[in-house]
Amino acid sequence: MIARSQRERLLDAAIDVVAEKGYAKTTIADLTKEAGISRTTFYEMFPDKEACFLAAYDVAADVLARRVASAFEAAEGEWPARVRAGLEELLGSLAAEPAVARLALVDFGAAGPAAQRRYRAALQRMTPLFDEGRDFAPEGRRLPANTSRMAIGAVVGLIAEEIEAGRATSLAKILPAVLVATLSPYLGPEAAAEEAGRG
Amino acid sequence: MATEIESRREALLKAMVRVVGRKGYDATSVADVIVEAGTSRTTFYKNFDDKHDCFLAAYEAMVEQVFATIVAECDGERPWVSRVRKGLETLIEIFALEPELARTAVVEVAVAGADARQLHWDAVNRFKGYLEAGRGAEPGKELPEQISVMAVGAVSGLIFDELVAGRAEQLPALMPDLLFAMLVPYLGPAAAADEMRRAAQAA
Repeated sequence: MIARSQRERLLDAAIDVVAEKGYAKTTIADLTKEAGISRTTFYEMFPDKEACFLAAYDVAADVLARRVASAFEAAEGEWPARVRAGLEELLGSLAAEPAVARLALVDFGAAGPAAQRRYRAALQRMTPLFDEGRDFAPEGRRLPANTSRMAIGAVVGLIAEEIEAGRATSLAKILPAVLVATLSPYLGPEAAAEEAGRG
Repeated sequence: MATEIESRREALLKAMVRVVGRKGYDATSVADVIVEAGTSRTTFYKNFDDKHDCFLAAYEAMVEQVFATIVAECDGERPWVSRVRKGLETLIEIFALEPELARTAVVEVAVAGADARQLHWDAVNRFKGYLEAGRGAEPGKELPEQISVMAVGAVSGLIFDELVAGRAEQLPALMPDLLFAMLVPYLGPAAAADEMRRAAQAA
């Protein structure tokens, strides 16, 4: 049990320190200090800084993906209302931890190609939110199979723009814009704008 | 002499784009770029303050070059849907033929700092604006502004995914999907899907 909690502390530390200092400037000493563990313990768990960061990224992405999925699944109503709930959770979670949001969606690439692939994999975890749209939309079956990926591209594009502009803490405000962008491929622009205006 | 100096600078800019696409921005050194360009260190520092300065100039020059190619292919292309298709096709062909350039343009730029990312988004918006501009004569209602973000985010996202996965040469296969993403905000799902199907049959 102690070993597990040390690992958890280290992964949390990796996200916090990299979010604050940037990946390149973060040292293993920074990580062990922040986590309150020894260097030996670090190397028992990970071969190097990159492996530790990637594991931390996976865990953070996993936590976020689960929260979004639960909000989506627990919400009442038809598909658009449930998408709203999922995206609301996403924006709220990111706004609550702006440094993590920045790392997850803007600065992720600094750790190299492996981190870029992790980012991509994390985004794919949001596809279930949108896949249902093909059943819900009047002509959903005619849409390209990649429509979910397109919607996710739009979501992260909008979020990254806000983070770059220094507005990470007020991400919740862009919910209507995110809804218009993501629902329009399924419902058409007018119906998407109408859905975005609800609530 | 002036032209020789210019061409050395240009060689450095092109070398920067290729090396970053191959090695990644962080791993790229000034020494790598000099070797690739076949110039001296002195020439490098006469033209640029450092790696970052050279990268920003290289990125801007690359955008100008790609954009000039797109404009040359698309200007006068009618109707609007054909213009969008031609524009996307041209971009995708450039990326498929020069995977290193594509990686630098779309993936590595994210690593090179906020000013580099700004150049990237400026370029994306310019491309979007160029494609949209041809829509003037088409019938269409005024749409909420965010709707075009769908197009840009979707197209960027799909291209990014392929490049990160190392599949630049397969980008042309995505063409029908990219066309759908670019058209759907304006035409709606049914008409965009029709255009996508036509593009797939033509391919």
